[in-house]
Amino acid sequence: MTWAVLSLLLAGAGVTAAISVVSVIGGLLLGIAICGASLARSRALRGCAAVYVSFFRGVPLLVQLLLLYHALPRLGLDLPGIAAAVLGLTLCTAAYQAETLRGGFVNVPAGLIEAGRIVGMTARQIMLRVRAPIALRLTLPAVVNEAILILKASSLVSVVGVADLTRTAQNIASSNYRPIETFAAAGALYLLLNIVVGGAGAGLGRMVGRGR
Amino acid sequence: MAGFGRRGFVALAGSAALGGPAALSAGAARAAEDVLARVKAAGVLRVGTETQFAPFDFLDNGKAAGLNYDLFAELGRDMGLRIEFVALPWESVLPGLDSGKFDMVSGPATITKARMERYRFTPPIAEATCALLKKAGDTTLNRPEDMAGKAIGSGKATSQLEQLKKFSATLSPPATVREYVDFSQAYADLAAGRIVGVANSLPNIAYVAAQRPETFALMATPFGEKSYFGYIGRKDAEYAGLMDAVDGAVLKMRSDGRLTALQQKWFKTTFETPERVASPAV
Repeated sequence: MTWAVLSLLLAGAGVTAAISVVSVIGGLLLGIAICGASLARSRALRGCAAVYVSFFRGVPLLVQLLLLYHALPRLGLDLPGIAAAVLGLTLCTAAYQAETLRGGFVNVPAGLIEAGRIVGMTARQIMLRVRAPIALRLTLPAVVNEAILILKASSLVSVVGVADLTRTAQNIASSNYRPIETFAAAGALYLLLNIVVGGAGAGLGRMVGRGR
Repeated sequence: MAGFGRRGFVALAGSAALGGPAALSAGAARAAEDVLARVKAAGVLRVGTETQFAPFDFLDNGKAAGLNYDLFAELGRDMGLRIEFVALPWESVLPGLDSGKFDMVSGPATITKARMERYRFTPPIAEATCALLKKAGDTTLNRPEDMAGKAIGSGKATSQLEQLKKFSATLSPPATVREYVDFSQAYADLAAGRIVGVANSLPNIAYVAAQRPETFALMATPFGEKSYFGYIGRKDAEYAGLMDAVDGAVLKMRSDGRLTALQQKWFKTTFETPERVASPAV
C-alpha cells in the first residue's frame, strides 16, 4: 500500500466522516421535531409523524437515495449527488432517532413527573428539568449506536456518485487490481472512525451522567 | 433481456423503475426541447461515466485517466464544447441517462442487438471481442480450445459472458463457467487459483496483464463473434441532433487517424473498426 493510495483512502474517509456527522446532527434535530409531533395531542400531527417514520424506516436507504437522485429531476428538482446523499441519510436517520427519543420520553417514570407537579413546576419546567434530561440519559446509548450505523450505511451513497471511502476503495481496486488489501485498508479506516464515535459517545455519557 | 447491462442487471431494473418514458408532465415538458440546441447554448456536454473501467476510464492515483478522457477532449474541441463528466457506479449510469442527469454515457459498452433496441450507439471506438486472461506462467492454456473442462470466469450480464458460454458449449468437455458481479472479483479469484482464466474484452484484459505481469498473462487469441465498443446515447427524437453531431465527430477522428493514435496509446495495439455497426453479431 503506497502513500498515494493511502492518502486517497484518507480523503475518502474524510468525506464519509463529514456526510455522516452532518446527517446524524441534522437527523437528530429533525428527529426531535418528529418525536415532538408523535407525542403531541393533535391527532393530525401524530398521524404525520407515524407516516414519516413508517416510510423512512420501511423503504431501504439504497432505494431512497436512488429515488432522491434519479426520480426528483422528473419533478423539477435536480439534486447534485452530495446533496442527495446528505438529504437521504438525514431523512432516514431522523425516523430512527425520533423513535429512539420517543422511547426515552415515554419511559420517564410517571412518579417523577408527578413529583415535579407537586413541587409546583410548570409543564415547561417539567419538560426541561425532568423529562428531557432523563430521556436524554435513557436514549444516549441508542443514539450513539445509530450514529455508528449511519457511518457504515453511508457507504451506500456511492450509488449517487459521492466519492466516499467505499467508492474510493472501489475506484482504486479497479485500477490496481489489488482488491483485498484495498478493501482491508478501507475496513480498517471505518473501524477507526467508529472507535472515535464510540469514544465520543462514552464521553458524552459521562457528561450527562453527572449530577445524577 | 439477458446481457443488457454491461455489468449488472440492476441497470435495467433501475431504468425501468425510475426512468420509464416521461411519466410526469414536468419530464415531458423538458423532453420537448432539442438537446443539441440546449448543449450548444450551455457550451457544456455532460457525460455519464463510472471511473472503474480501465483502460477506458479509471482513476490513476486519484486522477481521471483513460482513452475516454483523451477522446472526449478531442471531441469537445471539434464540437466547441466543454466536457463535464459525472461519475456514478455503473448500475446507476444508465438510469442517470434516462433521468437526464447527463446527455450521453461514455462507458463504453459492447454494441449488441438487445442494447440497440433501447439505446443508440456511436460508431465503434475499439474492438470488444473476447480474449482470455490466465495466470502468469500457465503453459496449459495456449489456444481457446484449451479451456475445455477448466474453470473460467466472466462478468454477470456481460456480452463477453454470453460469448464464453456459447464457445464453451462447442468444447468437449465444456468449460465450467463461473459468473462474477464484478470483474475485479474474477481477477482476484484467478490470482488465488480458484479459476484458471477470465474471459473479457481484449482491451480490458490486455491492460490488466500489463499492470500485473508477475501475476497475470494474456491469451490474446480472440474467440467467439467479433464485437465492438461504442458510447451510449438516447434514442428519443430530441436527442437525434446531438447523437448525429457526436457520430460525425467520432467518424472524423476515425478518418484523420486520431482514433488509431489513441488506441495505440492506451491499448498498445490498434483495431480495424467499421464506420457503423448496423446489425451486431452478438
